[in-house]
Amino acid sequence: MNTAVRMSGVTKTFGKMRAVDDLELEVPRGGLYGFIGPNGAGKTTSIRMIMSILFPDSGEIAVLGHPSALEAKDRIGYLPEERGLYRKMKVGPFLRYVARLKGVDGPDLDGRISGWLERVGLDGVERKRCDELSKGMSQKVQFVSALIHQPDLLILDEPFSGLDPVSMRMLRDLILDEHRRGATILFSTHVMPQAEEICEHVIMVHKGRKVLDESLTAIRNRFDPRAVQFEPLVPGTRTAALRSIPEVEGVTPGEKGVEIILREGSDPAAVMRRIMDAVPAARIELSRPRLEDVFVQLVTDGASDDDAEHLRAELQDAETTGATA
Amino acid sequence: MKRILRIALRDFVAIAMTKGFIFGLLVMPGMFGLMIVLAPVLFDDGNFQVEGEYAVIDPTGAVFPAMNATLDSGAVAERRREQFQRLLEDNPALAGTPDVVRNVASAAAEQAMVAELGPAPNVRLVERPPDADVEAEKAWLNEESDGLRHTALIVIHDNAVEAPGPDAELGSYDLFVAPNLDERDLDFIHSSVREAIIDARVARQTMDRDAIEAILRVSRPASTTITADAEQRTFSGLNMLLPIAFMMLLFIGIMTGGGTMLTSMIEEKSSRVVEVLLSAVSPMELMAGKLLGSVAISLVTMALYIGLGLLALASFAMFGLLDPWLIVYLMIFFLIGFFVIGSLMLAIGAAVNEVSEAQQLQTPLVLIVMLPWLLWLPISRDPNSALAIAASFIPPINSFGMVLRMTSTQPPPYWQVWLSIAVGAASVVGAVWVAAKVFRIGLLMYGKPPNLKTMLRWVRQA
Repeated sequence: MNTAVRMSGVTKTFGKMRAVDDLELEVPRGGLYGFIGPNGAGKTTSIRMIMSILFPDSGEIAVLGHPSALEAKDRIGYLPEERGLYRKMKVGPFLRYVARLKGVDGPDLDGRISGWLERVGLDGVERKRCDELSKGMSQKVQFVSALIHQPDLLILDEPFSGLDPVSMRMLRDLILDEHRRGATILFSTHVMPQAEEICEHVIMVHKGRKVLDESLTAIRNRFDPRAVQFEPLVPGTRTAALRSIPEVEGVTPGEKGVEIILREGSDPAAVMRRIMDAVPAARIELSRPRLEDVFVQLVTDGASDDDAEHLRAELQDAETTGATA
Repeated sequence: MKRILRIALRDFVAIAMTKGFIFGLLVMPGMFGLMIVLAPVLFDDGNFQVEGEYAVIDPTGAVFPAMNATLDSGAVAERRREQFQRLLEDNPALAGTPDVVRNVASAAAEQAMVAELGPAPNVRLVERPPDADVEAEKAWLNEESDGLRHTALIVIHDNAVEAPGPDAELGSYDLFVAPNLDERDLDFIHSSVREAIIDARVARQTMDRDAIEAILRVSRPASTTITADAEQRTFSGLNMLLPIAFMMLLFIGIMTGGGTMLTSMIEEKSSRVVEVLLSAVSPMELMAGKLLGSVAISLVTMALYIGLGLLALASFAMFGLLDPWLIVYLMIFFLIGFFVIGSLMLAIGAAVNEVSEAQQLQTPLVLIVMLPWLLWLPISRDPNSALAIAASFIPPINSFGMVLRMTSTQPPPYWQVWLSIAVGAASVVGAVWVAAKVFRIGLLMYGKPPNLKTMLRWVRQA
């Protein structure tokens, strides 16, 4: 009963394409999970199956203790990837309609709607027609529609796409507030730094298959960090001395200072002490493994460097698109 | 169920409260009313005047003088008075004409007569020699004329007035006319020549035309229809009007609800709001809600039109001629037709992305709904023919077929009506089942619209 979402051996094909392949995942109640992977990895299909909008070809899904989300829809908040509002409907009636479909009614509904709109910085838009809203405003209204009934489980599919940085931060804070309230959160994104910033735990998928399912801390520990960012105390100091440290494999110039790559198996703490002895430091920092690097490492294991570079470029493209969309 | 009703209510309000819907709802009765008011003005041919110059080749020597007498202005006026008098007697609509008009000698009557029959004809007859060359005379029809247009060349047969022998038949006449001659000119020429030939024949037999006319004239009384609780003047058009009116109601009901549902579904899909709805309700609840919302739209439309129809019947004191049970059956068959056609239209709406894409898939359904219009006349005339019986049992046109038969002069036995209802109910289950499968898959399918084959595959898959 402590599991909010469980998928066991779930497979879904569209024609000849296997969108989701034998997927296993489990999100505990109260968890804040990121569901990440590049475009076309099977995230949206999986989420739609969790929501009982699509049905798997095989495998089982349980949501909030029920064999189908249909039995718990009033307790689930869902923000689909494709944003949609009734163009000619006013914001107030739209939110009232969605809230009532979710089983929220009564005299305090209007107050609840105004309160939420105020929280997302849209106070007073109740009387505006949905087609009069900007893209960002529409997205916030839809975000409110997913949260209006105070769900136990919040599923967000690419929640930040198309948002400016200020709105993005506002929604991120709201998601964290909901998490603090006790809601389980599962959100998908193809922009991995977003997941890195918010999530406690990451489920990574690629071509319909799960490639990683671990907490961020565990990921950071497991994917051995071998890079140290170093900035000398006196700018312009020669860093040649660093190369003479036996555990240092290489030194490359970075944006500020240099990036020092450690030899495999070396103890970062000990090496960092030696570095500071060799050249006084203004800043020295062990590089955390980025999810993107982890992902590339996982899916290109055994593949050529070209393949890895290609995948990395693809992810960076997606990131840029995600940030500017 | 609460969610289904919420969806139905939203759809109903979103459609029924739009200016377009209200305008569309009122435009038909409005146009009907306007036509009733304007038709007499628009279709009034009272100002048409028969004009022209007729050349006559009369070898009998008796028809031309008779024609001259027939077309003599005095004779024409007399005939018109008689015609008008008969019109007053026969036409109940003119029953309220003031007495002064009935007195055809008065000036007011002359005016009323011109208004009713149009201006008197302006025709000049030209006699040609009995042995004139017909071919040469034909050219005269296309000759330019300063005065009246050369309209007709009438060639009376030798034996038109008197048969050459005791067993021989009487002849007639040949008529050649100028191009683009109005039908009413043609009618006038035929009736004038006919009158003249009859006059000549009667004169040759030394008989009295008026006496013969008097013998032949039997006035046709208006019949009275006796119903269980009243008797009223028979409205002969009702038997023809009732089936077409009921079929139109059925058609309007199904197409109004089905059409609005299709467009609202496409709008929800193209604006991507459908996925938001699916996060709150199941696809089946969504479909049921949309069907209920649209059926309510159709019921409002039909209630308005049926109400106006009953009002019209009541105002013409013909209310008693309509069996109220027919309306009950109409509603049952409407619901059957709506849920069969409507659910399939909804499935099409869910499967496509734009209205233009829906048109192609919708065509077979529209053709099916149009089929009863072709069957209307044969079924109304012979409601127990094999065609009529088949049409009233084969879904999805059985609703139309049975309603046509029930409103005809020979309604089918009740077991057939209920069998058709049972067939209809089964077809509703089948259509909703198929539609639900297409609906569920189609809702989230974007991109290339499916064809019929793809949709059938969805039905097998889902």
